[in-house]
Amino acid sequence: MKNKYIENFEKAQIESKNVPDFRAGDTVRVAVRIKEGNKERVQNFEGVCISIRGEGTGKTFNVRKIGANSVGVERIFPLYSESIESIEVVRKGRVRRAKLFYLRDRKGKAARIKELRRK
Amino acid sequence: MEFIVEKIGMSRTIDVPSVPVTLLKVVEAKVCEVREDGKAIVAYNSGKKINKAIEGQQKKYSITKEFNKFMTLEVAQGTEPGDLKADALAEAKLVKTSFNSKGRGFSGVIKRHGFAGGPGAHGSRFHRAPGSIGMCEWPGRVQPGQKMPGQYGNKKNTVKNEVISYDAENGILVLKGAVPGHKGARGLVRIVK
Repeated sequence: MKNKYIENFEKAQIESKNVPDFRAGDTVRVAVRIKEGNKERVQNFEGVCISIRGEGTGKTFNVRKIGANSVGVERIFPLYSESIESIEVVRKGRVRRAKLFYLRDRKGKAARIKELRRK
Repeated sequence: MEFIVEKIGMSRTIDVPSVPVTLLKVVEAKVCEVREDGKAIVAYNSGKKINKAIEGQQKKYSITKEFNKFMTLEVAQGTEPGDLKADALAEAKLVKTSFNSKGRGFSGVIKRHGFAGGPGAHGSRFHRAPGSIGMCEWPGRVQPGQKMPGQYGNKKNTVKNEVISYDAENGILVLKGAVPGHKGARGLVRIVK
């Protein structure tokens, strides 16, 4: 458990943030603010969230996608960072663990995740 | 101006770039007596220790039983006996923070002075020892200041930190970067700017 003063300090920053509820296995589209010189633009990064870790302002999530030439690309984002414009949950996945690092060893069809169907 | 503080711990901000911060709590203190050189004797709470000498001081300055430790601090001009006000921290930009660093006990030269040490294996028979500490029959003595094993840490360290924010209600001072010492350690902040 964190100290209550640290918790208050972090809560004050996080409170105004609107972050959707998602977990490992979900496909997310993250809009990242990128600053080039004095121009700012937004770039999307879409992939499967394979882990969420940490708490408070230090909470991060890891998104994995298969990039060009079928090279796996992973990016770790701070969940509450100012550089993240929005997070959109594209698809809910049905997975049985909190960390999906096993996807790194799988290719093609084996690396698929079933969609979560609610009854 | 100086204030007694207690280290709470570290966190970070969500700004871009993110800033590592240290949270300090200002310890409640009572001004007992203001001296002419701009310093004052203040009393604060530390444990439950009490003896006749402390009781005598408490009676002299008519303060309650909790304030059982005394020290001399630099205070703002025009400070009067009573509660030590920490309002000045709200306008502070830069502070110097003094804490005792974490004690590592009696440490060897690798930890204490960053010596490289020898190979772990291949029969070198030289691992973490300091090695040679000098020359020969001349000069026939060890040079003063030779780096050797000994007590490491638990020594007063002072660092400069920018002030991020100050919450007057809870007395929480948020500084940029790290300060020496463990969580719960007591130290001093001095306002530079």
